[in-house]
Amino acid sequence: MHSIVVVREVWDTRDLTGDMVDGAGAIRTDRLTTRFEPEDLNALEMALRIKDTLGGQVTVLALGAPGEVDVLRECLYRGADRAVRVPADLADLDTAGRARLLAQATQAQDGWRLVLAGVTIPEGETSLLGSHLAAELGVEQASYVDSLESVTETEVVARRAIEMGIEDIRLPLPAVVSVGVALLADDPRTPRSAKAMLKLKAKKAEIPEFAAAGGPSPTRRTGHQAVSERQIESQDVDPNDEAALQGMLQRVLKGEG
Amino acid sequence: MSKVLVIAQAAEGVATELSLQCLAAARAAADRIGGTVTALVGGKDVGSAAPTLIQHGADEVRVADADALSPYLTTPFRKAVRAATEGESWALVLLPASTMGDDLAPFVAHDLGAACVLDAVGIDADASGCLLARRLEYDRKVTSTFTAAEGKALVVTLKDGAADALPADAARNGQVVTVDLPGDLAGAAEVVRRDVVAKSVNLKAARIIVAAGAGVGTRENFARIEELAARLGAQIGATRAVVDAGWLPADHQIGQTGAVVRPDVYIGCGISGAVQHWVGMSEAKTIVAINTDASAPLMRRAHYRIVGDVNDVVPKLTQLAG
Ligand SMILES: Cc1cc2nc3c(=O)[nH]c(=O)nc-3n(C[C@H](O)[C@H](O)[C@H](O)COP(=O)(O)OP(=O)(O)OC[C@H]3O[C@@H](n4cnc5c(N)ncnc54)[C@H](O)[C@@H]3O)c2cc1C
Ligand SMILES: Nc1ncnc2c1ncn2[C@@H]1O[C@H](COP(=O)(O)O)[C@@H](O)[C@H]1O
Repeated sequence: MHSIVVVREVWDTRDLTGDMVDGAGAIRTDRLTTRFEPEDLNALEMALRIKDTLGGQVTVLALGAPGEVDVLRECLYRGADRAVRVPADLADLDTAGRARLLAQATQAQDGWRLVLAGVTIPEGETSLLGSHLAAELGVEQASYVDSLESVTETEVVARRAIEMGIEDIRLPLPAVVSVGVALLADDPRTPRSAKAMLKLKAKKAEIPEFAAAGGPSPTRRTGHQAVSERQIESQDVDPNDEAALQGMLQRVLKGEG
Repeated sequence: MSKVLVIAQAAEGVATELSLQCLAAARAAADRIGGTVTALVGGKDVGSAAPTLIQHGADEVRVADADALSPYLTTPFRKAVRAATEGESWALVLLPASTMGDDLAPFVAHDLGAACVLDAVGIDADASGCLLARRLEYDRKVTSTFTAAEGKALVVTLKDGAADALPADAARNGQVVTVDLPGDLAGAAEVVRRDVVAKSVNLKAARIIVAAGAGVGTRENFARIEELAARLGAQIGATRAVVDAGWLPADHQIGQTGAVVRPDVYIGCGISGAVQHWVGMSEAKTIVAINTDASAPLMRRAHYRIVGDVNDVVPKLTQLAG
């Protein structure tokens, strides 16, 4: 089985406080570091497990300039067989535009059967790049996929988390799966870590490029505005101080905040 | 091109609350650009939702009724939307930001060559009447606005709370049309299992919510949460981790794929406060968090932080509340 995983390096915004937007309305990216998009990492792990059980190969694709796709090398350290960079200027591309380029790169991979991508976007909301990719590739897809219940060379059964429960969707291959895993503690789906041996091997490896051509994006970003975060004054309550606990309960239940 | 389309979602033949919010946003946008609102509803026996859609703001309802449209799957719905909207141009297409609306929107956008914005928190228009979608980005610290390129439609999924549903107006009239569907709606994908629970709790109406997270540890420990909730007259909420572990049915889930709640008091027990949970309860009036890890995100955003083991602290609270 040949799986393709689309991976992204995204801004790490988790611990940011203070203003994110400068006076000119631009994101203050100087204050940001990047990380591997966690959902894409879960998608990579799914693909590596398919390889563990069925054999085959895993190819990872990422869009961007060389400095924006260190994640590709990280995938090689974790066991991906091949990494391909698709050069692009991300700033001008909407999700559909990104999918158009990635679809071309996918089509160029020999005998690919399944494409996996995370559901999230860099900034923590849904992107469904995978759905846009399925539209471009003209294949079936499932989104918000939590796990693959079964995988064969010809089909997968994808478990999808929906509002009031779950559903299993049987997808004949080729297909696209958008991954949205809610990892539990000690979860068997937890991504594996990088291997020292693979690191040594791939540290200097050349990452090939695939040149794809796209058109203008119909989605235009017109501006950014900082969101004033809700100011919450936190107060510690000592769990061993019964009077403090009781006082807190009384205030809270009376609606005195 | 001043037509607005709402792709509404119906459950058991009843339009969802989020679909009615979409209609309200559509109505406001249409009034701004001097347009009309068409609602499209697809599924099996969904025609019964039509009067509600008209009463809540639709000028016209198109009903796509077929066995292949229930349960929801991407391809049949995509084909139904195509059949229902062929040859027309739209300024704006709104869908609920549910796992259905978010799933379908990229395909509708693809077919219309439209701009696509998922999980928007509002629709506006600029001074020249150009429609804008607002969306939270950068871990909800920034609002970004998006518009469609000249002459393109804007396809948007709207989050719960982006607009208030309009009150039902029984005097509103509208046309109801049956969509002529192609015979080959089915795609190659198939739903082979579906486990959904009926709604048994109304977390949205709860004044006090005791919410349980993975930190509770085991199903047995869960009794402590139930005791506290019973003592406080609270409803029990949960994170997805708890639902996934099978300790509670999915209708208790709070967050991105669960309920968005606004109680007076929210007590989070053993909950880390991942953004997908936070979006569902960030507007609680008072937030109490109990966690062994003082640096968990929810602890940093709680009014009252109790650093401790839920299994010690929760029984103490139950006793003190008595
Ligand atoms: C597409 C998608 C949609 C999602 N939708 C939702 C959603 O709607 N709702 C939702 O909740 N999540 C959702 N998630 C999952 C979310 O990302 C988190 O995984 C989830 O909220 C974590 O749940 P938790 O806080 O219970 O578990 P964890 O993150 O594992 O946190 C457990 C916490 O308990 C603490 N703890 C451990 N032991 C104890 C103890 N003895 N006493 C006290 N504290 C203890 C730990 O320090 C930790 O902070 C979604 C994820 C994805 C990808
Ligand atoms: N160095 C980078 N690492 C990760 N993501 C990036 C980087 N540069 C740009 N991006 C992403 O590219 C997109 C364009 O950013 P923006 O400037 O906000 O339009 C955003 O989704 C960013 O997260």
